Amino acid sequence: MRLVILMTQTQVHKQFVLRPLMLVSLALFMLAAGNARAELLIRITEGVDSAIPIAVVPFAESGTMPQGDKISSIIRSDLTMSGEFNPLAPGKMLSLPSSRSDVYFRDWRMLGQRYLLVGELTRKGERLEARYELFDINREARILGETTTAPVSSARSLAHHISDKIYEAITGEPGAFSTKLAYVTVMGQGDNMRYRLQVSDVDGKRAKVRLESDEPILSPAWSPDGKKLAYVSFETSKPVIFVHELATGERQKLADFRGLNSAPAWSPDGKSLLMTLSRDGNAEVYKMELASGDLTRLTDHWAIDTSGAWDHAGRGVFFTSDRSGGPQIYHMERPGSEARRITFGSRYNARPRPGPKGDYVYYVHQRNNDFVIARTNLNTGEESLVTRTGSDESPSLSPNGRLLIYATERDGTSVLTVVSADGGETYSLPAAEGEVRDPAWGPIVR
Amino acid sequence: MTGNERETISTGKAPWKSPVAVSVLLHLLIAIVALAGWSWSEPMQEPEPNSISARLVSPEPEPSPVINEQEQARDREQQKAEAERQQAEAERKQQEEQAREEAERRAQEEARKREEERKRQEAQARERAEQKAREEAARKKAEAEAKERERQRLLEEERRRQEEAKRKAEEERRKAEEEKRRQEEAERQRREEEARKEAERKRLEAERRLREEQLQALADEARQEQEAEQRRQREAAAARAREAQMLSESQKYQSLIRERLTQAWYPPSSATEDMTARLQIALLPTGELASVKLVNSSGNTAFDNSALGAVRALNRYPVPENRDTFERYFRQFTIEFNPQRLR
Repeated sequence: MRLVILMTQTQVHKQFVLRPLMLVSLALFMLAAGNARAELLIRITEGVDSAIPIAVVPFAESGTMPQGDKISSIIRSDLTMSGEFNPLAPGKMLSLPSSRSDVYFRDWRMLGQRYLLVGELTRKGERLEARYELFDINREARILGETTTAPVSSARSLAHHISDKIYEAITGEPGAFSTKLAYVTVMGQGDNMRYRLQVSDVDGKRAKVRLESDEPILSPAWSPDGKKLAYVSFETSKPVIFVHELATGERQKLADFRGLNSAPAWSPDGKSLLMTLSRDGNAEVYKMELASGDLTRLTDHWAIDTSGAWDHAGRGVFFTSDRSGGPQIYHMERPGSEARRITFGSRYNARPRPGPKGDYVYYVHQRNNDFVIARTNLNTGEESLVTRTGSDESPSLSPNGRLLIYATERDGTSVLTVVSADGGETYSLPAAEGEVRDPAWGPIVR
Repeated sequence: MTGNERETISTGKAPWKSPVAVSVLLHLLIAIVALAGWSWSEPMQEPEPNSISARLVSPEPEPSPVINEQEQARDREQQKAEAERQQAEAERKQQEEQAREEAERRAQEEARKREEERKRQEAQARERAEQKAREEAARKKAEAEAKERERQRLLEEERRRQEEAKRKAEEERRKAEEEKRRQEEAERQRREEEARKEAERKRLEAERRLREEQLQALADEARQEQEAEQRRQREAAAARAREAQMLSESQKYQSLIRERLTQAWYPPSSATEDMTARLQIALLPTGELASVKLVNSSGNTAFDNSALGAVRALNRYPVPENRDTFERYFRQFTIEFNPQRLR
């Protein structure tokens, strides 16, 4: 009885204690609920489709500067080529600051700019020193600052380096402006043809001829370390695969089998090459170990199998096969395993180039009577066009997968064009002499 | 100390004890002398022991025993004279018979005896006179003492009377005071009673008023409650309407803000659809950005920065003019950047 009373009292007590507690928690809950209700959430699922406005102010200079393009101009050109930036013309700038103390963010805001690059160049003997700062104008924050030097003769390298840094700081991905392009130019007509294998900066500048031949040169392919090129040369009147050491100019005849030797592609580790050989009668994809020259046949089909390329993970292989009647893109999970067809959108899909992130595969695609570059989303199977110019061929992706270079025909001649891999901005490289074919984007060399 | 007390007690007893003792002793002495005197002549006669013993125990000696003794003495004298006469008669008759024989001798003898008797009676008389004198002295002393006692008694009586008078006066005074007090008390009680009655009346009045007021209050309350309920309902309806209006207004401005931010946001090329950056925004009523805080990073600095840049790119946020709507939705809110349609 007593216990019961005590318990009742305890309960009463509890109630009295609990009630305020409950009220408090209820109040808190309501407050939270009120806050939650008041806490509006706005989701932004899309951004601007256009390029980011950036002001690259001409660098202040002290000392004798080398001839040629200004650093800031090269940077603007790089950023423009990326398709992701829209540099402000220097003529529109209200001031030309070279350090933070001269920067009036309001002015740059007024000009609608998002980023601002200022810097100065100092000649120090045979070297150039660049000190530069990148600002986020809206946040009024410096997001990049560096002092770097390069030989006077490598002023362009300095500019490309700064472009890379800017690109990475703003986009979060490594820039590819210091990488190289390999391509083949063709001059002359009829029997008087000159084929030149050239290597240039990504903007087409500083091009150097690495190989010159009266016979066709095709399909240059960069080794992963950027030191070698593999290509097909007809210099012996038949297609032979060579590996060319760029630093020394040393060449090695790698595949010179009976019949066709074509479409070389490096493995990610640089130890082997995929190639198309018809030594066994029909064109098939093989893997050759560089060190031993051992061959492994990866495809075995009566149809033509060609253009092998390692996927981004370096495990599976994409290739082109006309086993369905016309050329289509296939993928093998493992070398030699059963091939899965990737493309269905048209009768002609060839020369697969896997994106570096594994999300897309790019290829030459025939639509109506035009050849364009298209890509297929490997997760969804959805196909979309990347280029629309027609007569487009030889796609090659930048190392970060953001840009795609390809050859196309303009004014009756073949030129190289860079396009956003997602099909946005295009940027035509300055026309070289004659036709330009088979571009190959080199790797980022650290 | 103790010795002093004892002393005080013994001296206190002496004044009343000693006169009594003296008196008793004196009487005893007188009685003994008288008895001794009588025993000479009348040895056969004995005093009545009763009266003597009674007088002995009596605390206060009285003069009456003296008077009685005188009477007794007289009686005894008469008796003695009678006896002597009878004896003399007998002796005369005898002597008359014998006288003729021894007339001479007897005459002589008679003379001698008469002489002796006269001497003895003289001594007796003297003794009686002395006795009388002593008795007289004793009586006088007793009278004086009686007088003194009387005086004392009178004094005492006077004192008692005075005391009594004083007491009575005191009593009177006390009674008067008592009376006065009683009257005052009665007056006070009367007044108190009146006050109490007045208070009671007032209390009842107050209670009555309070009751009336309470009733009135209850009525008022009920009326007010009803009015309040109606007002609440009206207000709730108005609030709902306002809420709805605010919501629709807020939605309008939400979409305006969304549109402006969409135009201001440059998702970096590294952005993927699974990236989400959350920013907490605080605005001023003018639409100016008061503060922005990254509360949830996408894990990609460039992405976070692009979101921060977008939020800061807007010079003025489109916000409702209605202050309530502003406070409710736009004083502080969250913006989530999560690209869904990457190219």
